[in-house]
Amino acid sequence: MRVDLEGLVFARGPFTLRGSGTFGEGVHLVSGPVGGGKSTLALLLAGLLRPESGAVRRHGVSSALLLLQFPEHHITCPTVAGEVRSWGLAPEDVLLRADLLGRGDDDPFHLSRGELRRLTLACAVMQNPDLLVLDEPFSSLDCVAKGEACWMIEERGAGITIIFSHERAVLPRVDAIWEMEDGVLTARGSVPDAIPSWRHAPPYLRYALREGARPENIRLSDAREALCRIRG
Amino acid sequence: MIRITDLRHRLLDIPDLTLSTRHIAVIGPNGGGKTTLLSVCSGIEEPEAGSVRLLGRPPSAVKVGWVGEFPDRTLLFSRVYDEIASSLRFRHRPCPETDRTVRAVAEVGGIPRLLGKKVSALSGGEKALVALAAACVDDPEVLVLDEADSHLDAGTAERVSRVVQESKAAHILWCTQSMDTAATADYVLFMENGRVRHRGTPDEVFSALEETCFYPTMWRVCR
Repeated sequence: MRVDLEGLVFARGPFTLRGSGTFGEGVHLVSGPVGGGKSTLALLLAGLLRPESGAVRRHGVSSALLLLQFPEHHITCPTVAGEVRSWGLAPEDVLLRADLLGRGDDDPFHLSRGELRRLTLACAVMQNPDLLVLDEPFSSLDCVAKGEACWMIEERGAGITIIFSHERAVLPRVDAIWEMEDGVLTARGSVPDAIPSWRHAPPYLRYALREGARPENIRLSDAREALCRIRG
Repeated sequence: MIRITDLRHRLLDIPDLTLSTRHIAVIGPNGGGKTTLLSVCSGIEEPEAGSVRLLGRPPSAVKVGWVGEFPDRTLLFSRVYDEIASSLRFRHRPCPETDRTVRAVAEVGGIPRLLGKKVSALSGGEKALVALAAACVDDPEVLVLDEADSHLDAGTAERVSRVVQESKAAHILWCTQSMDTAATADYVLFMENGRVRHRGTPDEVFSALEETCFYPTMWRVCR
Protein backbone atom coordinates (compact mmCIF):
# COMPACT_ATOMS: atom_id res chain seq x y z
CA MET A 1 0.00 0.00 0.00
CA ARG A 2 1.44 3.40 -0.95
CA VAL A 3 0.66 6.84 -2.34
CA ASP A 4 3.02 8.27 -4.95
CA LEU A 5 3.26 11.95 -5.76
CA GLU A 6 4.54 12.17 -9.32
CA GLY A 7 5.78 15.66 -10.22
CA LEU A 8 2.76 17.22 -8.57
CA VAL A 9 2.13 20.87 -9.51
CA PHE A 10 -0.78 22.96 -8.27
CA ALA A 11 -0.97 26.74 -8.69
CA ARG A 12 -3.29 29.33 -7.23
CA GLY A 13 -2.44 32.97 -7.96
CA PRO A 14 1.24 33.56 -7.25
CA PHE A 15 1.43 30.41 -5.09
CA THR A 16 2.68 27.17 -6.63
CA LEU A 17 2.83 23.84 -4.86
CA ARG A 18 5.31 21.19 -5.98
CA GLY A 19 5.81 17.74 -4.59
CA SER A 20 7.24 14.33 -5.37
CA GLY A 21 7.72 11.31 -3.18
CA THR A 22 6.17 8.17 -1.77
CA PHE A 23 4.05 7.81 1.35
CA GLY A 24 4.26 4.19 2.49
CA GLU A 25 2.46 2.45 5.34
CA GLY A 26 2.93 4.03 8.75
CA VAL A 27 2.60 7.47 10.29
CA HIS A 28 3.98 10.46 8.37
CA LEU A 29 4.34 13.95 9.80
CA VAL A 30 4.35 16.91 7.40
CA SER A 31 5.45 20.08 9.17
CA GLY A 32 6.16 23.59 7.96
CA PRO A 33 5.15 27.21 8.35
CA VAL A 34 1.62 28.48 7.86
CA GLY A 35 0.85 29.47 4.31
CA GLY A 36 3.42 26.94 3.08
CA GLY A 37 0.83 24.76 1.36
CA LYS A 38 0.13 22.06 3.97
CA SER A 39 -3.68 22.22 3.77
CA THR A 40 -3.55 22.40 -0.04
CA LEU A 41 -1.41 19.25 -0.15
CA ALA A 42 -3.85 17.55 2.26
CA LEU A 43 -6.71 18.34 -0.15
CA LEU A 44 -4.67 17.04 -3.12
CA LEU A 45 -3.82 13.82 -1.26
CA ALA A 46 -7.47 13.31 -0.40
CA GLY A 47 -8.45 13.83 -4.03
CA LEU A 48 -10.50 16.96 -3.28
CA LEU A 49 -8.30 19.12 -5.50
CA ARG A 50 -6.92 18.20 -8.89
CA PRO A 51 -3.30 18.98 -9.73
CA GLU A 52 -2.46 21.06 -12.78
CA SER A 53 0.15 18.58 -13.80
CA GLY A 54 1.61 15.43 -12.32
CA ALA A 55 -0.49 13.04 -10.29
CA VAL A 56 -1.34 11.55 -6.91
CA ARG A 57 -1.30 7.79 -7.54
CA ARG A 58 -2.70 5.39 -4.97
CA HIS A 59 -1.49 1.80 -5.04
CA GLY A 60 -3.47 -0.76 -3.05
CA VAL A 61 -5.38 2.04 -1.32
CA SER A 62 -9.09 1.25 -1.40
CA SER A 63 -10.36 3.95 0.96
CA ALA A 64 -9.22 7.44 1.90
CA LEU A 65 -10.38 9.99 4.43
CA LEU A 66 -9.45 13.59 5.21
CA LEU A 67 -10.09 14.93 8.69
CA LEU A 68 -10.48 18.70 8.42
CA GLN A 69 -8.69 21.21 10.63
CA PHE A 70 -11.97 22.30 12.24
CA PRO A 71 -13.87 19.24 13.51
CA GLU A 72 -17.17 21.17 13.52
CA HIS A 73 -17.02 21.20 9.71
CA HIS A 74 -17.65 17.43 9.77
CA ILE A 75 -20.88 17.61 11.75
CA THR A 76 -24.03 16.66 9.82
CA CYS A 77 -26.40 15.33 12.54
CA PRO A 78 -28.16 16.93 15.52
CA THR A 79 -27.03 14.27 17.99
CA VAL A 80 -23.67 12.72 18.82
CA ALA A 81 -25.02 9.19 18.25
CA GLY A 82 -26.53 10.23 14.90
CA GLU A 83 -23.22 11.76 13.94
CA VAL A 84 -21.43 8.47 14.64
CA ARG A 85 -24.05 6.53 12.64
CA SER A 86 -23.53 8.93 9.72
CA TRP A 87 -19.98 7.54 9.54
CA GLY A 88 -21.47 4.03 9.23
CA LEU A 89 -20.31 3.09 12.73
CA ALA A 90 -22.00 1.81 15.89
CA PRO A 91 -22.32 4.60 18.48
CA GLU A 92 -21.53 2.36 21.50
CA ASP A 93 -18.07 1.37 20.19
CA VAL A 94 -17.08 4.86 19.10
CA LEU A 95 -18.35 6.61 22.24
CA LEU A 96 -16.40 4.16 24.37
CA ARG A 97 -13.26 4.76 22.34
CA ALA A 98 -13.77 8.55 22.42
CA ASP A 99 -14.49 8.48 26.16
CA LEU A 100 -17.93 10.02 25.51
CA LEU A 101 -20.19 7.31 26.96
CA GLY A 102 -23.58 8.71 27.93
CA ARG A 103 -23.25 11.69 25.54
CA GLY A 104 -25.03 10.03 22.58
CA ASP A 105 -28.14 12.22 22.83
CA ASP A 106 -26.18 15.47 23.16
CA ASP A 107 -25.94 18.07 20.41
CA PRO A 108 -22.44 17.69 18.89
CA PHE A 109 -22.03 21.46 19.15
CA HIS A 110 -22.43 21.20 22.92
CA LEU A 111 -19.27 19.11 23.13
CA SER A 112 -16.07 20.92 24.05
CA ARG A 113 -13.43 21.38 21.41
CA GLY A 114 -11.38 18.50 22.79
CA GLU A 115 -14.44 16.23 22.95
CA LEU A 116 -15.46 17.06 19.39
CA ARG A 117 -11.92 16.34 18.17
CA ARG A 118 -11.92 13.01 20.05
CA LEU A 119 -15.27 12.16 18.45
CA THR A 120 -14.24 12.87 14.86
CA LEU A 121 -10.83 11.28 15.33
CA ALA A 122 -12.39 8.15 16.87
CA CYS A 123 -14.85 7.95 13.93
CA ALA A 124 -12.02 8.33 11.42
CA VAL A 125 -9.73 5.82 13.13
CA MET A 126 -12.53 3.26 13.61
CA GLN A 127 -13.67 3.59 10.03
CA ASN A 128 -10.09 2.52 9.41
CA PRO A 129 -9.45 3.89 5.92
CA ASP A 130 -6.31 2.74 4.12
CA LEU A 131 -5.28 6.39 3.79
CA LEU A 132 -6.04 8.77 6.66
CA VAL A 133 -5.06 12.43 6.21
CA LEU A 134 -5.25 14.63 9.32
CA ASP A 135 -5.07 18.42 8.87
CA GLU A 136 -3.83 20.05 12.08
CA PRO A 137 -5.39 17.49 14.45
CA PHE A 138 -3.85 19.13 17.55
CA SER A 139 -4.67 22.82 17.10
CA SER A 140 -6.96 24.43 19.70
CA LEU A 141 -6.55 21.48 22.06
CA ASP A 142 -5.07 21.55 25.54
CA CYS A 143 -2.17 19.23 26.27
CA VAL A 144 -4.42 16.54 27.78
CA ALA A 145 -6.59 16.41 24.65
CA LYS A 146 -3.50 16.50 22.39
CA GLY A 147 -2.16 13.49 24.28
CA GLU A 148 -5.43 11.63 23.71
CA ALA A 149 -5.33 12.46 19.99
CA CYS A 150 -1.74 11.15 19.78
CA TRP A 151 -2.77 7.95 21.53
CA MET A 152 -5.56 7.36 19.00
CA ILE A 153 -3.20 7.95 16.07
CA GLU A 154 -0.58 5.59 17.52
CA GLU A 155 -3.24 2.93 18.16
CA ARG A 156 -4.08 2.80 14.46
CA GLY A 157 -2.15 -0.31 13.52
CA ALA A 158 -2.19 -0.42 9.72
CA GLY A 159 -2.60 1.86 6.73
CA ILE A 160 -1.06 5.17 5.76
CA THR A 161 -1.56 8.05 8.19
CA ILE A 162 -0.42 11.51 7.12
CA ILE A 163 -0.49 14.25 9.75
CA PHE A 164 -0.16 17.90 8.77
CA SER A 165 0.81 19.84 11.85
CA HIS A 166 2.92 22.63 13.29
CA GLU A 167 2.53 21.25 16.83
CA ARG A 168 5.66 21.74 18.94
CA ALA A 169 4.92 20.16 22.31
CA VAL A 170 2.72 17.06 22.12
CA LEU A 171 3.46 14.78 19.16
CA PRO A 172 2.79 11.11 18.41
CA ARG A 173 5.36 8.48 17.51
CA VAL A 174 5.92 8.77 13.75
CA ASP A 175 7.72 6.77 11.05
CA ALA A 176 8.68 9.50 8.59
CA ILE A 177 9.10 13.26 8.47
CA TRP A 178 8.34 15.63 5.61
CA GLU A 179 8.55 19.41 5.38
CA MET A 180 6.44 21.79 3.36
CA GLU A 181 7.76 25.29 2.86
CA ASP A 182 6.97 27.92 0.22
CA GLY A 183 4.92 25.32 -1.63
CA VAL A 184 7.74 22.78 -1.90
CA LEU A 185 7.48 19.35 -0.28
CA THR A 186 10.75 17.86 0.97
CA ALA A 187 11.16 14.34 2.33
CA ARG A 188 13.41 14.21 5.40
CA GLY A 189 13.17 10.41 5.49
CA SER A 190 12.55 7.78 8.14
CA VAL A 191 12.74 8.38 11.87
CA PRO A 192 15.14 8.43 13.70
CA ASP A 193 17.63 9.18 10.89
CA ALA A 194 15.50 12.10 9.68
CA ILE A 195 15.44 13.89 13.04
CA PRO A 196 18.76 15.80 12.79
CA SER A 197 17.83 17.28 9.40
CA TRP A 198 14.28 18.23 10.47
CA ARG A 199 14.27 22.04 10.22
CA HIS A 200 10.92 22.50 11.98
CA ALA A 201 11.75 20.19 14.88
CA PRO A 202 10.22 21.25 18.20
CA PRO A 203 12.52 23.15 20.59
CA TYR A 204 12.89 20.25 23.05
CA LEU A 205 14.09 17.96 20.25
CA ARG A 206 16.55 20.52 18.97
CA TYR A 207 17.86 21.00 22.48
CA ALA A 208 18.38 17.24 22.86
CA LEU A 209 20.29 17.15 19.55
CA ARG A 210 22.46 20.10 20.58
CA GLU A 211 23.33 18.26 23.78
CA GLY A 212 24.54 15.32 21.68
CA ALA A 213 21.55 13.06 22.39
CA ARG A 214 20.04 10.91 19.65
CA PRO A 215 16.28 10.53 20.29
CA GLU A 216 14.70 7.43 18.80
CA ASN A 217 11.50 9.26 17.95
CA ILE A 218 10.08 12.77 18.14
CA ARG A 219 8.04 12.76 21.36
CA LEU A 220 9.07 14.72 24.45
CA SER A 221 9.54 11.37 26.22
CA ASP A 222 11.94 10.26 23.46
CA ALA A 223 14.01 13.43 23.92
CA ARG A 224 14.10 12.92 27.70
CA GLU A 225 15.10 9.27 27.39
CA ALA A 226 17.89 10.13 24.96
CA LEU A 227 19.14 12.85 27.30
CA CYS A 228 19.04 10.42 30.23
CA ARG A 229 21.13 7.94 28.26
CA ILE A 230 23.95 10.44 27.68
CA ARG A 231 23.69 12.09 31.09
CA GLY A 232 23.52 8.79 32.90
CA MET B 1 -3.27 47.58 37.14
CA ILE B 2 -6.06 45.07 36.48
CA ARG B 3 -8.37 44.60 39.43
CA ILE B 4 -11.11 41.97 39.64
CA THR B 5 -13.47 41.91 42.61
CA ASP B 6 -16.22 39.40 43.44
CA LEU B 7 -16.52 38.41 39.80
CA ARG B 8 -19.21 35.88 38.95
CA HIS B 9 -20.02 35.41 35.31
CA ARG B 10 -21.13 32.18 33.67
CA LEU B 11 -18.68 29.62 35.08
CA LEU B 12 -16.25 32.27 36.34
CA ASP B 13 -15.85 32.67 40.08
CA ILE B 14 -12.99 35.00 40.97
CA PRO B 15 -13.35 36.66 44.39
CA ASP B 16 -10.25 38.83 44.23
CA LEU B 17 -7.45 39.25 41.71
CA THR B 18 -5.00 42.10 41.25
CA LEU B 19 -2.55 42.07 38.37
CA SER B 20 0.17 44.69 38.16
CA THR B 21 2.64 43.05 35.77
CA ARG B 22 2.70 43.75 32.05
CA HIS B 23 2.78 40.37 30.31
CA ILE B 24 0.21 38.02 31.85
CA ALA B 25 -0.20 34.47 30.48
CA VAL B 26 -3.56 32.76 30.99
CA ILE B 27 -3.33 28.97 30.75
CA GLY B 28 -5.36 25.88 31.62
CA PRO B 29 -7.51 23.14 30.09
CA ASN B 30 -10.13 23.74 27.36
CA GLY B 31 -13.40 24.86 28.88
CA GLY B 32 -11.77 26.24 32.05
CA GLY B 33 -13.01 29.81 31.57
CA LYS B 34 -9.98 31.44 29.93
CA THR B 35 -11.86 32.98 27.00
CA THR B 36 -14.71 34.10 29.28
CA LEU B 37 -12.21 35.86 31.55
CA LEU B 38 -10.61 37.62 28.57
CA SER B 39 -14.05 38.65 27.24
CA VAL B 40 -15.00 40.20 30.57
CA CYS B 41 -11.61 41.92 30.93
CA SER B 42 -11.84 43.45 27.48
CA GLY B 43 -15.42 44.67 27.91
CA ILE B 44 -16.90 42.35 25.27
CA GLU B 45 -19.11 40.90 28.00
CA GLU B 46 -20.54 42.64 31.07
CA PRO B 47 -20.08 40.54 34.21
CA GLU B 48 -23.25 39.22 35.85
CA ALA B 49 -21.86 40.22 39.23
CA GLY B 50 -18.72 41.88 40.53
CA SER B 51 -16.39 44.32 38.85
CA VAL B 52 -13.39 44.49 36.56
CA ARG B 53 -11.23 47.63 36.41
CA LEU B 54 -8.41 48.17 33.95
CA LEU B 55 -6.05 51.04 34.79
CA GLY B 56 -8.65 52.27 37.28
CA ARG B 57 -11.43 52.41 34.69
CA PRO B 58 -14.17 50.07 33.48
CA PRO B 59 -13.04 48.07 30.41
CA SER B 60 -15.43 50.01 28.14
CA ALA B 61 -13.45 53.19 28.89
CA VAL B 62 -10.10 51.61 27.99
CA LYS B 63 -8.61 51.17 24.52
CA VAL B 64 -8.40 47.38 24.19
CA GLY B 65 -6.91 45.52 21.24
CA TRP B 66 -8.35 42.01 20.81
CA VAL B 67 -6.95 39.15 18.75
CA GLY B 68 -9.10 36.04 18.77
CA GLU B 69 -8.30 32.46 17.98
CA PHE B 70 -10.31 32.56 14.76
CA PRO B 71 -9.41 35.79 12.93
CA ASP B 72 -12.03 34.93 10.28
CA ARG B 73 -14.67 35.82 12.83
CA THR B 74 -13.29 39.30 13.55
CA LEU B 75 -11.91 40.52 10.21
CA LEU B 76 -14.45 42.98 8.79
CA PHE B 77 -13.01 44.29 5.54
CA SER B 78 -12.16 42.45 2.36
CA ARG B 79 -8.77 44.11 1.79
CA VAL B 80 -5.89 43.79 4.27
CA TYR B 81 -5.03 47.50 4.11
CA ASP B 82 -8.64 48.50 4.88
CA GLU B 83 -8.82 46.05 7.78
CA ILE B 84 -5.69 47.42 9.44
CA ALA B 85 -6.67 51.04 8.74
CA SER B 86 -10.23 50.62 10.00
CA SER B 87 -9.90 51.73 13.63
CA LEU B 88 -7.91 54.85 12.59
CA ARG B 89 -10.51 55.68 9.92
CA PHE B 90 -13.34 55.21 12.42
CA ARG B 91 -11.57 57.83 14.53
CA HIS B 92 -11.38 60.21 11.53
CA ARG B 93 -7.60 60.45 11.65
CA PRO B 94 -6.03 62.28 8.66
CA CYS B 95 -5.39 60.02 5.67
CA PRO B 96 -1.62 60.62 5.43
CA GLU B 97 -1.20 59.80 9.13
CA THR B 98 -3.37 56.69 8.78
CA ASP B 99 -1.32 55.57 5.81
CA ARG B 100 1.97 56.06 7.66
CA THR B 101 0.72 54.19 10.74
CA VAL B 102 -0.72 51.29 8.73
CA ARG B 103 2.56 50.84 6.86
CA ALA B 104 4.62 51.09 10.06
CA VAL B 105 2.49 48.46 11.83
CA ALA B 106 2.66 46.18 8.78
CA GLU B 107 6.44 46.57 8.79
CA VAL B 108 6.73 45.51 12.45
CA GLY B 109 4.50 42.51 11.77
CA GLY B 110 6.50 41.56 8.67
CA ILE B 111 3.42 41.78 6.43
CA PRO B 112 3.94 44.79 4.08
CA ARG B 113 3.56 42.44 1.10
CA LEU B 114 0.04 41.52 2.28
CA LEU B 115 -1.34 45.09 2.35
CA GLY B 116 -2.82 44.99 -1.14
CA LYS B 117 -4.18 41.46 -0.83
CA LYS B 118 -7.71 40.28 -0.28
CA VAL B 119 -8.31 38.87 3.19
CA SER B 120 -10.00 35.83 1.66
CA ALA B 121 -6.77 34.91 -0.16
CA LEU B 122 -4.71 34.72 3.06
CA SER B 123 -3.69 31.61 4.94
CA GLY B 124 -4.81 31.16 8.57
CA GLY B 125 -1.47 32.33 9.95
CA GLU B 126 -1.43 35.40 7.71
CA LYS B 127 -4.93 36.28 8.92
CA ALA B 128 -3.70 36.07 12.52
CA LEU B 129 -0.88 38.50 11.70
CA VAL B 130 -3.35 40.88 10.02
CA ALA B 131 -5.71 40.67 13.02
CA LEU B 132 -2.77 41.44 15.33
CA ALA B 133 -1.72 44.43 13.20
CA ALA B 134 -5.32 45.71 13.21
CA ALA B 135 -5.44 45.34 17.00
CA CYS B 136 -2.14 47.21 17.48
CA VAL B 137 -2.62 50.03 14.97
CA ASP B 138 -4.35 52.40 17.40
CA ASP B 139 -1.89 51.82 20.29
CA PRO B 140 -4.18 49.88 22.64
CA GLU B 141 -3.70 50.39 26.39
CA VAL B 142 -4.44 46.71 26.95
CA LEU B 143 -3.75 44.02 24.37
CA VAL B 144 -5.70 40.75 24.64
CA LEU B 145 -4.77 37.59 22.72
CA ASP B 146 -7.08 34.61 22.95
CA GLU B 147 -5.08 31.57 21.78
CA ALA B 148 -4.04 33.62 18.78
CA ASP B 149 -1.00 31.33 18.46
CA SER B 150 -3.08 28.11 18.21
CA HIS B 151 -2.88 27.92 14.45
CA LEU B 152 0.59 29.36 14.00
CA ASP B 153 3.93 27.74 13.21
CA ALA B 154 7.08 28.51 15.22
CA GLY B 155 8.31 31.33 12.97
CA THR B 156 4.95 33.11 12.85
CA ALA B 157 4.37 32.63 16.59
CA GLU B 158 7.75 34.23 17.25
CA ARG B 159 6.81 37.17 15.07
CA VAL B 160 3.57 37.57 17.01
CA SER B 161 5.58 37.57 20.27
CA ARG B 162 7.86 40.29 18.92
CA VAL B 163 4.98 42.52 17.81
CA VAL B 164 3.30 42.04 21.19
CA GLN B 165 6.49 42.90 23.09
CA GLU B 166 7.00 46.04 21.01
CA SER B 167 3.45 47.30 21.57
CA LYS B 168 3.05 50.18 24.01
CA ALA B 169 0.23 48.42 25.88
CA ALA B 170 0.41 48.66 29.69
CA HIS B 171 -0.94 45.12 29.98
CA ILE B 172 -0.90 42.11 27.71
CA LEU B 173 -3.36 39.36 28.58
CA TRP B 174 -2.25 36.35 26.60
CA CYS B 175 -4.15 33.09 26.68
CA THR B 176 -2.07 30.30 25.14
CA GLN B 177 -1.79 26.51 24.95
CA SER B 178 1.97 26.81 24.52
CA MET B 179 3.48 26.42 27.97
CA ASP B 180 6.89 27.33 26.57
CA THR B 181 5.40 30.69 25.55
CA ALA B 182 3.65 31.09 28.92
CA ALA B 183 6.99 30.46 30.67
CA THR B 184 8.30 33.74 29.22
CA ALA B 185 5.49 35.83 30.78
CA ASP B 186 5.89 38.01 33.87
CA TYR B 187 2.92 36.40 35.57
CA VAL B 188 0.85 33.26 34.97
CA LEU B 189 -2.79 32.46 35.79
CA PHE B 190 -3.85 28.80 35.61
CA MET B 191 -7.64 28.63 35.17
CA GLU B 192 -9.72 25.53 35.75
CA ASN B 193 -13.49 25.16 36.17
CA GLY B 194 -13.91 28.94 36.14
CA ARG B 195 -11.49 29.53 39.01
CA VAL B 196 -7.90 30.72 39.23
CA ARG B 197 -6.23 27.54 40.53
CA HIS B 198 -2.67 28.85 40.47
CA ARG B 199 -1.23 32.32 40.13
CA GLY B 200 2.27 33.73 40.35
CA THR B 201 5.53 33.89 38.47
CA PRO B 202 6.11 31.16 35.87
CA ASP B 203 8.40 29.42 38.39
CA GLU B 204 5.73 29.43 41.08
CA VAL B 205 2.88 28.27 38.84
CA PHE B 206 4.74 25.63 36.87
CA SER B 207 6.32 24.10 39.97
CA ALA B 208 2.73 23.31 41.02
CA LEU B 209 2.10 21.76 37.58
CA GLU B 210 5.26 19.68 37.29
CA GLU B 211 3.37 16.39 37.43
CA THR B 212 1.03 17.43 34.58
CA CYS B 213 1.43 17.98 30.84
CA PHE B 214 1.06 21.71 31.56
CA TYR B 215 4.78 21.90 32.29
CA PRO B 216 6.91 23.68 29.67
CA THR B 217 8.65 21.14 27.41
CA MET B 218 11.93 23.08 27.54
CA TRP B 219 11.92 23.03 31.33
CA ARG B 220 11.27 19.29 31.15
CA VAL B 221 14.43 18.66 29.10
CA CYS B 222 16.68 21.40 30.50
CA ARG B 223 16.05 21.17 34.23
